Amino acid sequence: MLRPYEMSSVIITGPKNLQETIIKELHNLKILHIIEHSKNEFADIGRPLESANRLSEILVKVRALIAALNIKKQEIKFELKKSFLEIESTARKLTEELNINLEELKKTEELISKNESIKQELEILKDINAPLESFAPYKSLAYFTGYLKDENKALALKEELLKATQKLMLFHCLVKKRCFIVLFIDSKIKDAVSNILRKANFSPVSFVNIGNLKGNASANFKKIEEETAKLQKKKGEIKAKIVNLGKDYKDFLIASDDFLSEQLEKAEAPLKFAATPSSFLIKGWIPTDDLSKSIDRLNKITHNKIFVHFESAKKEDKVPVKLKNPKYAKAFEFFMDLYTLPTYKEIDPTFIMFLTYPLLFGFMLGDFGYGLTTLILFMILKRLMPKAKNFLNILIFSSLSTMFFGLLFGEFFGFEEIGSFYLPHILSRVHDINGLMFLALVVGIIHINLGLLIGFINEYKSHGFRTGLYAKGSWFIFEIWLVFVVWLFNFTNFTLSTKILILLLTLIVPLYMLYKGEGIRGIIEIPSIFSNTLSYARLMAIGLSSVVLALIINDSAEQFFHKGGFLVLIGVLILVIGHVINIMLGLLGSFLHSLRLHYVEFFTKFFHGGAKKYQPFGLKIQ
Amino acid sequence: MAVEISTGLIALASGLAIAGSAFAAAWAEKEIGVAAIGAMAEKEELFGKGLILTVIPETIVIFGLVIAYLILGLAK
Repeated sequence: MLRPYEMSSVIITGPKNLQETIIKELHNLKILHIIEHSKNEFADIGRPLESANRLSEILVKVRALIAALNIKKQEIKFELKKSFLEIESTARKLTEELNINLEELKKTEELISKNESIKQELEILKDINAPLESFAPYKSLAYFTGYLKDENKALALKEELLKATQKLMLFHCLVKKRCFIVLFIDSKIKDAVSNILRKANFSPVSFVNIGNLKGNASANFKKIEEETAKLQKKKGEIKAKIVNLGKDYKDFLIASDDFLSEQLEKAEAPLKFAATPSSFLIKGWIPTDDLSKSIDRLNKITHNKIFVHFESAKKEDKVPVKLKNPKYAKAFEFFMDLYTLPTYKEIDPTFIMFLTYPLLFGFMLGDFGYGLTTLILFMILKRLMPKAKNFLNILIFSSLSTMFFGLLFGEFFGFEEIGSFYLPHILSRVHDINGLMFLALVVGIIHINLGLLIGFINEYKSHGFRTGLYAKGSWFIFEIWLVFVVWLFNFTNFTLSTKILILLLTLIVPLYMLYKGEGIRGIIEIPSIFSNTLSYARLMAIGLSSVVLALIINDSAEQFFHKGGFLVLIGVLILVIGHVINIMLGLLGSFLHSLRLHYVEFFTKFFHGGAKKYQPFGLKIQ
Repeated sequence: MAVEISTGLIALASGLAIAGSAFAAAWAEKEIGVAAIGAMAEKEELFGKGLILTVIPETIVIFGLVIAYLILGLAK
């Protein structure tokens, strides 16, 4: 609570032949946060174990399969035979099988698309009474195929053409409401005919895909259609095969991926070590509580052939941080992960947030009915989504606090009375806005001063009493000065000029202290203490808007209730939808603004942060 | 319900205080929101910080609210 776990820095050295044993054991222990060594004049970084190359090759194959088979990662129970050979051969077999299927699929799809284009051409020619082989290149004949713009022009065109030549053959028919013509002529007059056609607004269509077909177009069309259907069926079968492959090997692939990743992590661990040709050195951090146990274990399995040096964290060390909080407050570490982790030396605000966050949240939402609804909602969600446990726990605490404030404000879904029973309250938010605002600002002043107090403790611990007093204590002095000013103007009988003189003279004390503690920045920051306090007025604003919205919903529903009949149903609908929307808005607003008050107004008074998270070697990152 | 002109003006003034500050807050949030989305596209973990940064200018409208409230106090 308030402090992270105590850490000790550890250095492990030993001969190279023990490296693999040590890696294996450390991976099992999941206790050492390794500090990566960077190459210097004393030692290079280590080389990965021999198996690393092969491992990464197999892993690449397995991951490619997972991607190709569209497998989603999930928790599985699968007994994997943990041998590389087995995984490799299965992966290879699977890859081959998949490739064959994919190739087949590609071929089938190509055939289908070719058939589609043939079909399109045949559809046009279906009503032309000419065999398909006639659309082939000729020596002495030329032919034109295409559409005429005006469908009635076909006969006129024929007359026109007859003037030019007697040797012609013209077919025409309607295709999709357009006039399609096929014209055979002597190739000698091709140019003349094409001129005539151009004048008749002829747009040519070429038939490139039907070259090999013979006979009647409509018969061919049917045949192609049948063929396509067969191909489609085949395509479906191949796809099903691939899906089945994915189903059959899903567990195997996921398990292999996990297993191989773990092995690869071990094999590549020496990259983080310092190494000489015959020895290795590992630097890292272990929680002090687990220190002796882990060192004993390492010594035991290597028969005391390694050397372990340890010492507690020094002031300038950048220690990885593992937050330490009681179980019930643990959920609130989520907020620290979201922002930044506190450094090793400063106070961990998680527990304080556990106390204050739900309070501010409840102050804003503050309705017994809403609190009860959200409490039930988050309880159910927690069952359904165990992964979001931390987040939901925070919301559950906040809902409880909302219910508590709901009792204080005497609100139940915006109603202040149920039937003729008037809910007791300590402060009515709708009727006593002044009081609410005053209360919000008082909460703000307390919260900010709490922040300053923690800031003072932080400074005191890391830089001593004087710095603490100047940097944070000066703010307290400044606040006392403000109170003094109020007293001076309201309760004393000096003349105005004397008052101002006293004011300015006394102001020097906090100003000087601030300047000493935080430099010129401190002086510039003075107005921020006012704006920060005023910022807590949002406790009133957001709460009030939530209540007023609830009131409006209730009022408009009530009008329908009075009218009676089926209009009552509409009233119920308004109540349900209105309150659902208002609850969602209230949750979002209260969540964000409570968080913001902590991050911006509260944390800036004491928090530095920026520490690295403690991530022991071997522990999976979730 | 007859309302005196002066009361109406006071109500109008407090409305203006809210409108102006709300507009300013919205504008500021828009700018920050855009930048936050941009940053998130590069690095998804920045969601938390982006969210917080985006609501920071909301204080402006709170100030507006306080001023509006003080102006309304003149009506009594």
